[in-house]
Amino acid sequence: MIDEQTWVSQAQAGSEEAFTQIVEHFQRPVYNLCYRMLGEPEAAEDASQEVFLRVYRNLWRYNPERPFGTWLMSIAAHYCIDRLRRKKMTLFSMDEEDAIELPDRNAPDPEHEAIRSEQRQRLHRLLQSLDPIDRAALTLRYWNDCSEAEIAETLSLTVSAVKSRLHRARRALGKTWQEQEHQNHAERIAYGSPAI
Amino acid sequence: MDHRPFEDWLLEDKPLNKEERFALQEHLRNCTSCTALSEVNLALRGARVASPAAGFADRFQVRLAAERKARRIRQGVGFTFLALGALGILLWVSWPLLAATAQSPSGVISDLLMYLSRLFLNLRAFGQALSVIWDVLPSFIPSYVWAIIFAAFSGLGLLWVASLRKFTRIPQGA
Repeated sequence: MIDEQTWVSQAQAGSEEAFTQIVEHFQRPVYNLCYRMLGEPEAAEDASQEVFLRVYRNLWRYNPERPFGTWLMSIAAHYCIDRLRRKKMTLFSMDEEDAIELPDRNAPDPEHEAIRSEQRQRLHRLLQSLDPIDRAALTLRYWNDCSEAEIAETLSLTVSAVKSRLHRARRALGKTWQEQEHQNHAERIAYGSPAI
Repeated sequence: MDHRPFEDWLLEDKPLNKEERFALQEHLRNCTSCTALSEVNLALRGARVASPAAGFADRFQVRLAAERKARRIRQGVGFTFLALGALGILLWVSWPLLAATAQSPSGVISDLLMYLSRLFLNLRAFGQALSVIWDVLPSFIPSYVWAIIFAAFSGLGLLWVASLRKFTRIPQGA
Protein backbone atom coordinates (compact mmCIF):
# COMPACT_ATOMS: atom_id res chain seq x y z
CA MET A 1 0.00 0.00 0.00
CA ILE A 2 1.54 3.30 -1.10
CA ASP A 3 0.03 5.46 1.67
CA GLU A 4 1.26 3.12 4.34
CA GLN A 5 4.86 3.19 3.13
CA THR A 6 4.71 6.97 2.71
CA TRP A 7 3.50 7.41 6.30
CA VAL A 8 6.23 5.10 7.53
CA SER A 9 8.96 7.00 5.64
CA GLN A 10 7.60 10.32 6.89
CA ALA A 11 7.32 8.99 10.45
CA GLN A 12 10.91 7.73 10.25
CA ALA A 13 11.90 11.25 9.21
CA GLY A 14 10.25 12.56 12.39
CA SER A 15 6.72 13.44 11.28
CA GLU A 16 4.26 13.20 14.18
CA GLU A 17 1.30 13.50 11.82
CA ALA A 18 2.44 10.53 9.79
CA PHE A 19 2.78 8.43 12.92
CA THR A 20 -0.72 9.45 13.99
CA GLN A 21 -1.94 8.23 10.58
CA ILE A 22 -0.22 4.91 11.23
CA VAL A 23 -1.92 4.66 14.63
CA GLU A 24 -5.30 5.51 13.11
CA HIS A 25 -4.82 2.97 10.32
CA PHE A 26 -3.61 0.05 12.44
CA GLN A 27 -5.42 0.64 15.74
CA ARG A 28 -8.21 -1.82 14.93
CA PRO A 29 -6.15 -4.89 13.95
CA VAL A 30 -3.68 -4.26 16.77
CA TYR A 31 -6.44 -3.78 19.34
CA ASN A 32 -8.31 -6.83 18.06
CA LEU A 33 -5.20 -9.01 18.34
CA CYS A 34 -4.52 -7.73 21.87
CA TYR A 35 -8.17 -8.22 22.85
CA ARG A 36 -8.29 -11.79 21.51
CA MET A 37 -4.95 -12.54 23.16
CA LEU A 38 -5.54 -10.93 26.55
CA GLY A 39 -9.30 -11.36 26.79
CA GLU A 40 -10.18 -8.04 28.44
CA PRO A 41 -10.86 -4.62 26.89
CA GLU A 42 -8.78 -2.70 29.47
CA ALA A 43 -5.79 -5.00 29.05
CA ALA A 44 -6.20 -4.81 25.27
CA GLU A 45 -6.27 -0.99 25.32
CA ASP A 46 -3.17 -0.83 27.51
CA ALA A 47 -1.34 -3.43 25.41
CA SER A 48 -2.27 -1.70 22.12
CA GLN A 49 -0.96 1.64 23.42
CA GLU A 50 2.23 -0.05 24.57
CA VAL A 51 2.61 -1.74 21.18
CA PHE A 52 2.38 1.62 19.37
CA LEU A 53 4.89 3.12 21.82
CA ARG A 54 7.30 0.28 21.03
CA VAL A 55 6.72 0.80 17.32
CA TYR A 56 7.42 4.52 17.75
CA ARG A 57 10.64 3.85 19.67
CA ASN A 58 11.86 1.23 17.21
CA LEU A 59 10.65 2.73 13.96
CA TRP A 60 14.24 3.45 12.89
CA ARG A 61 14.90 -0.31 12.99
CA TYR A 62 12.09 -1.10 10.56
CA ASN A 63 13.36 -2.57 7.30
CA PRO A 64 11.23 -1.17 4.42
CA GLU A 65 11.74 -4.40 2.48
CA ARG A 66 9.34 -6.13 4.89
CA PRO A 67 5.61 -5.34 4.90
CA PHE A 68 5.04 -2.78 7.65
CA GLY A 69 1.79 -4.42 8.81
CA THR A 70 3.53 -7.74 9.38
CA TRP A 71 6.33 -6.03 11.35
CA LEU A 72 3.84 -4.15 13.49
CA MET A 73 1.65 -7.20 14.13
CA SER A 74 4.78 -9.16 15.01
CA ILE A 75 5.59 -6.62 17.74
CA ALA A 76 1.97 -6.81 18.96
CA ALA A 77 1.85 -10.61 18.98
CA HIS A 78 5.18 -11.02 20.75
CA TYR A 79 4.26 -8.35 23.30
CA CYS A 80 0.97 -10.12 24.11
CA ILE A 81 2.66 -13.53 24.29
CA ASP A 82 5.30 -12.14 26.68
CA ARG A 83 2.65 -10.44 28.76
CA LEU A 84 0.63 -13.65 29.03
CA ARG A 85 3.71 -15.64 29.96
CA ARG A 86 4.70 -13.07 32.58
CA LYS A 87 1.36 -12.73 34.24
CA LYS A 88 -0.14 -16.12 33.44
CA MET A 89 -3.28 -14.13 32.82
CA THR A 90 -5.57 -16.61 31.14
CA LEU A 91 -8.79 -16.20 33.07
CA PHE A 92 -11.45 -14.26 31.29
CA SER A 93 -13.58 -11.86 33.27
CA MET A 94 -17.26 -12.50 32.60
CA ASP A 95 -18.10 -8.91 33.57
CA GLU A 96 -16.28 -7.58 30.51
CA GLU A 97 -18.00 -9.69 27.87
CA ASP A 98 -20.73 -7.30 26.89
CA ALA A 99 -18.28 -4.48 26.29
CA ILE A 100 -17.60 -5.76 22.77
CA GLU A 101 -19.76 -8.73 21.89
CA LEU A 102 -23.22 -7.19 22.19
CA PRO A 103 -25.74 -8.53 19.68
CA ASP A 104 -26.77 -6.16 16.93
CA ARG A 105 -30.29 -4.97 17.83
CA ASN A 106 -30.88 -3.71 14.32
CA ALA A 107 -30.21 -7.10 12.76
CA PRO A 108 -33.07 -8.41 10.57
CA ASP A 109 -33.30 -11.62 12.60
CA PRO A 110 -32.74 -10.75 16.29
CA GLU A 111 -33.02 -14.36 17.46
CA HIS A 112 -30.38 -15.52 15.00
CA GLU A 113 -28.20 -12.55 15.88
CA ALA A 114 -28.53 -13.40 19.58
CA ILE A 115 -27.37 -16.97 18.89
CA ARG A 116 -24.46 -15.66 16.82
CA SER A 117 -23.54 -13.27 19.58
CA GLU A 118 -23.63 -16.07 22.14
CA GLN A 119 -21.41 -18.18 19.88
CA ARG A 120 -18.95 -15.30 19.52
CA GLN A 121 -18.77 -14.90 23.29
CA ARG A 122 -18.33 -18.60 23.71
CA LEU A 123 -15.55 -18.67 21.13
CA HIS A 124 -13.86 -15.72 22.83
CA ARG A 125 -13.93 -17.56 26.16
CA LEU A 126 -12.61 -20.74 24.56
CA LEU A 127 -9.76 -18.83 22.92
CA GLN A 128 -8.43 -17.95 26.36
CA SER A 129 -7.83 -21.63 27.08
CA LEU A 130 -5.38 -22.00 24.17
CA ASP A 131 -1.61 -21.72 24.25
CA PRO A 132 -0.65 -18.03 23.60
CA ILE A 133 1.14 -18.75 20.32
CA ASP A 134 -1.74 -20.91 19.03
CA ARG A 135 -4.13 -18.14 20.05
CA ALA A 136 -2.07 -15.55 18.17
CA ALA A 137 -1.93 -17.77 15.08
CA LEU A 138 -5.69 -18.31 15.13
CA THR A 139 -6.43 -14.62 15.67
CA LEU A 140 -4.14 -13.58 12.83
CA ARG A 141 -5.71 -16.19 10.54
CA TYR A 142 -9.39 -15.57 11.20
CA TRP A 143 -9.65 -11.99 12.43
CA ASN A 144 -6.78 -10.39 10.54
CA ASP A 145 -7.08 -12.54 7.38
CA CYS A 146 -3.35 -13.26 7.35
CA SER A 147 -1.99 -16.03 5.15
CA GLU A 148 -0.02 -18.87 6.71
CA ALA A 149 3.20 -17.32 5.35
CA GLU A 150 2.35 -13.97 6.94
CA ILE A 151 1.55 -15.64 10.26
CA ALA A 152 4.84 -17.52 10.06
CA GLU A 153 6.72 -14.25 9.54
CA THR A 154 4.78 -12.48 12.28
CA LEU A 155 5.31 -15.19 14.88
CA SER A 156 8.81 -16.20 13.74
CA LEU A 157 7.69 -19.74 12.91
CA THR A 158 7.91 -21.95 9.84
CA VAL A 159 4.84 -22.29 7.61
CA SER A 160 4.48 -25.96 8.53
CA ALA A 161 4.63 -25.06 12.23
CA VAL A 162 1.86 -22.51 11.66
CA LYS A 163 -0.27 -25.11 9.87
CA SER A 164 0.23 -27.60 12.64
CA ARG A 165 -0.56 -25.00 15.32
CA LEU A 166 -3.73 -23.91 13.50
CA HIS A 167 -4.90 -27.52 13.23
CA ARG A 168 -4.07 -28.25 16.84
CA ALA A 169 -5.79 -25.08 18.06
CA ARG A 170 -8.97 -25.78 16.10
CA ARG A 171 -9.03 -29.40 17.23
CA ALA A 172 -8.68 -28.23 20.83
CA LEU A 173 -11.44 -25.65 20.34
CA GLY A 174 -13.67 -28.28 18.72
CA LYS A 175 -13.09 -30.69 21.59
CA THR A 176 -13.93 -28.09 24.26
CA TRP A 177 -16.91 -26.93 22.18
CA GLN A 178 -18.18 -30.50 22.04
CA GLU A 179 -17.67 -31.00 25.79
CA GLN A 180 -19.63 -27.82 26.50
CA GLU A 181 -22.42 -28.99 24.19
CA HIS A 182 -22.63 -32.22 26.19
CA GLN A 183 -22.65 -30.27 29.44
CA ASN A 184 -25.37 -27.87 28.25
CA HIS A 185 -27.40 -30.79 26.96
CA ALA A 186 -27.13 -32.56 30.33
CA GLU A 187 -28.15 -29.36 32.16
CA ARG A 188 -31.18 -28.84 29.91
CA ILE A 189 -32.33 -32.42 30.56
CA ALA A 190 -31.77 -32.02 34.32
CA TYR A 191 -33.86 -28.81 34.45
CA GLY A 192 -36.42 -30.11 31.95
CA SER A 193 -35.92 -27.12 29.67
CA PRO A 194 -38.12 -27.14 26.58
CA ALA A 195 -35.30 -25.56 24.56
CA ILE A 196 -33.98 -28.94 23.38
CA MET B 1 -15.95 -43.50 14.01
CA ASP B 2 -13.72 -42.75 11.03
CA HIS B 3 -13.43 -38.98 10.63
CA ARG B 4 -11.38 -39.14 7.44
CA PRO B 5 -11.47 -37.29 5.12
CA PHE B 6 -14.08 -35.00 6.74
CA GLU B 7 -11.92 -33.75 9.58
CA ASP B 8 -9.14 -32.93 7.10
CA TRP B 9 -11.59 -31.03 4.90
CA LEU B 10 -12.74 -29.01 7.90
CA LEU B 11 -9.22 -28.33 9.16
CA GLU B 12 -7.88 -27.40 5.73
CA ASP B 13 -10.89 -25.15 4.91
CA LYS B 14 -11.00 -27.05 1.64
CA PRO B 15 -13.52 -25.78 -0.96
CA LEU B 16 -15.94 -28.69 -1.48
CA ASN B 17 -17.86 -29.81 -4.56
CA LYS B 18 -21.51 -30.87 -4.43
CA GLU B 19 -20.85 -34.54 -3.69
CA GLU B 20 -18.28 -33.76 -1.02
CA ARG B 21 -20.63 -31.27 0.62
CA PHE B 22 -23.39 -33.85 0.69
CA ALA B 23 -21.03 -36.51 2.15
CA LEU B 24 -19.88 -34.04 4.80
CA GLN B 25 -23.48 -33.17 5.75
CA GLU B 26 -24.24 -36.88 6.10
CA HIS B 27 -21.18 -37.36 8.31
CA LEU B 28 -22.01 -34.34 10.46
CA ARG B 29 -25.46 -35.80 11.23
CA ASN B 30 -23.82 -38.68 13.08
CA CYS B 31 -20.49 -37.21 14.28
CA THR B 32 -20.56 -34.80 17.22
CA SER B 33 -16.79 -34.28 17.06
CA CYS B 34 -16.80 -33.06 13.45
CA THR B 35 -19.99 -31.09 14.10
CA ALA B 36 -18.21 -29.25 16.90
CA LEU B 37 -15.26 -28.58 14.58
CA SER B 38 -17.62 -27.30 11.90
CA GLU B 39 -19.37 -25.03 14.41
CA VAL B 40 -16.02 -23.70 15.59
CA ASN B 41 -15.13 -22.98 11.95
CA LEU B 42 -18.41 -21.12 11.48
CA ALA B 43 -17.91 -19.15 14.68
CA LEU B 44 -14.35 -18.27 13.66
CA ARG B 45 -15.45 -17.10 10.22
CA GLY B 46 -18.30 -15.07 11.66
CA ALA B 47 -16.20 -13.49 14.40
CA ARG B 48 -16.21 -9.72 14.60
CA VAL B 49 -13.09 -7.59 14.74
CA ALA B 50 -12.98 -5.83 18.11
CA SER B 51 -12.43 -2.07 17.94
CA PRO B 52 -10.95 0.21 20.57
CA ALA B 53 -13.10 2.94 22.12
CA ALA B 54 -13.22 6.18 20.12
CA GLY B 55 -10.25 8.54 20.57
CA PHE B 56 -7.58 5.83 20.68
CA ALA B 57 -5.05 7.96 18.73
CA ASP B 58 -5.63 10.92 21.09
CA ARG B 59 -5.09 8.71 24.12
CA PHE B 60 -1.93 7.42 22.49
CA GLN B 61 -0.66 10.98 21.99
CA VAL B 62 -1.24 11.69 25.69
CA ARG B 63 0.66 8.53 26.64
CA LEU B 64 3.47 9.35 24.24
CA ALA B 65 3.80 12.84 25.73
CA ALA B 66 3.90 11.34 29.26
CA GLU B 67 6.53 8.85 28.17
CA ARG B 68 8.68 11.60 26.65
CA LYS B 69 8.39 13.69 29.81
CA ALA B 70 9.35 10.71 31.99
CA ARG B 71 12.34 10.02 29.73
CA ARG B 72 13.48 13.66 29.93
CA ILE B 73 13.24 13.51 33.75
CA ARG B 74 15.15 10.21 33.84
CA GLN B 75 17.87 11.67 31.59
CA GLY B 76 18.07 14.84 33.75
CA VAL B 77 18.38 12.83 36.98
CA GLY B 78 20.96 10.53 35.35
CA PHE B 79 23.03 13.48 34.13
CA THR B 80 22.92 15.15 37.57
CA PHE B 81 24.11 11.97 39.30
CA LEU B 82 26.86 11.51 36.70
CA ALA B 83 28.05 15.11 37.09
CA LEU B 84 28.01 14.86 40.90
CA GLY B 85 29.92 11.56 40.73
CA ALA B 86 32.53 13.01 38.37
CA LEU B 87 32.93 16.04 40.63
CA GLY B 88 33.36 13.80 43.68
CA ILE B 89 36.01 11.67 41.98
CA LEU B 90 37.84 14.79 40.78
CA LEU B 91 37.88 16.23 44.31
CA TRP B 92 39.01 12.89 45.77
CA VAL B 93 41.88 12.56 43.25
CA SER B 94 43.03 16.18 43.50
CA TRP B 95 42.61 16.48 47.27
CA PRO B 96 46.37 15.96 48.11
CA LEU B 97 47.34 18.62 45.54
CA LEU B 98 44.70 21.01 46.83
CA ALA B 99 45.87 20.45 50.41
CA ALA B 100 49.54 20.99 49.43
CA THR B 101 48.62 24.15 47.49
CA ALA B 102 46.82 25.49 50.51
CA GLN B 103 49.84 24.81 52.76
CA SER B 104 52.67 26.03 50.41
CA PRO B 105 51.55 27.64 47.14
CA SER B 106 55.09 28.63 45.99
CA GLY B 107 56.43 25.05 46.33
CA VAL B 108 53.56 23.63 44.27
CA ILE B 109 54.02 26.28 41.57
CA SER B 110 57.78 25.62 41.27
CA ASP B 111 57.15 21.83 41.11
CA LEU B 112 54.57 22.41 38.37
CA LEU B 113 56.96 24.60 36.35
CA MET B 114 59.72 21.99 36.62
CA TYR B 115 57.33 19.27 35.53
CA LEU B 116 56.19 21.31 32.51
CA SER B 117 59.75 22.09 31.43
CA ARG B 118 60.71 18.38 31.69
CA LEU B 119 57.63 17.45 29.67
CA PHE B 120 58.55 20.02 26.99
CA LEU B 121 62.15 18.74 26.74
CA ASN B 122 60.99 15.09 26.53
CA LEU B 123 58.47 15.90 23.81
CA ARG B 124 61.11 17.75 21.78
CA ALA B 125 63.52 14.80 22.06
CA PHE B 126 60.73 12.41 21.02
CA GLY B 127 59.95 14.60 18.00
CA GLN B 128 63.59 14.63 16.92
CA ALA B 129 63.78 10.82 17.22
CA LEU B 130 60.62 10.48 15.13
CA SER B 131 61.95 12.78 12.39
CA VAL B 132 65.15 10.68 12.19
CA ILE B 133 63.08 7.48 11.85
CA TRP B 134 60.85 9.14 9.28
CA ASP B 135 63.91 10.09 7.17
CA VAL B 136 65.52 6.64 7.40
CA LEU B 137 62.61 4.17 7.43
CA PRO B 138 61.20 4.55 3.85
CA SER B 139 64.47 3.42 2.32
CA PHE B 140 64.28 0.14 4.35
CA ILE B 141 60.67 -0.77 3.47
CA PRO B 142 59.91 -2.10 -0.06
CA SER B 143 57.10 -0.47 -2.03
CA TYR B 144 54.77 -3.53 -1.92
CA VAL B 145 54.79 -3.40 1.91
CA TRP B 146 53.65 0.22 1.69
CA ALA B 147 50.87 -0.89 -0.65
CA ILE B 148 49.78 -3.59 1.83
CA ILE B 149 49.83 -1.12 4.74
CA PHE B 150 47.85 1.40 2.72
CA ALA B 151 45.27 -1.24 1.68
CA ALA B 152 44.94 -2.50 5.27
CA PHE B 153 44.32 0.99 6.64
CA SER B 154 41.84 1.75 3.85
CA GLY B 155 39.94 -1.46 4.68
CA LEU B 156 39.90 -0.61 8.39
CA GLY B 157 38.69 2.89 7.58
CA LEU B 158 35.86 1.56 5.43
CA LEU B 159 34.91 -0.93 8.16
CA TRP B 160 34.87 1.89 10.69
CA VAL B 161 32.66 4.08 8.50
CA ALA B 162 30.30 1.16 7.76
CA SER B 163 29.97 0.23 11.43
CA LEU B 164 29.38 3.87 12.35
CA ARG B 165 26.57 4.05 9.78
CA LYS B 166 25.05 0.79 11.03
CA PHE B 167 25.18 1.34 14.78
CA THR B 168 24.75 5.07 15.21
CA ARG B 169 21.46 5.64 13.41
CA ILE B 170 19.54 7.90 15.74
CA PRO B 171 15.75 7.47 15.98
CA GLN B 172 14.13 10.34 14.16
CA GLY B 173 11.63 12.47 16.01
CA ALA B 174 12.31 10.72 19.32
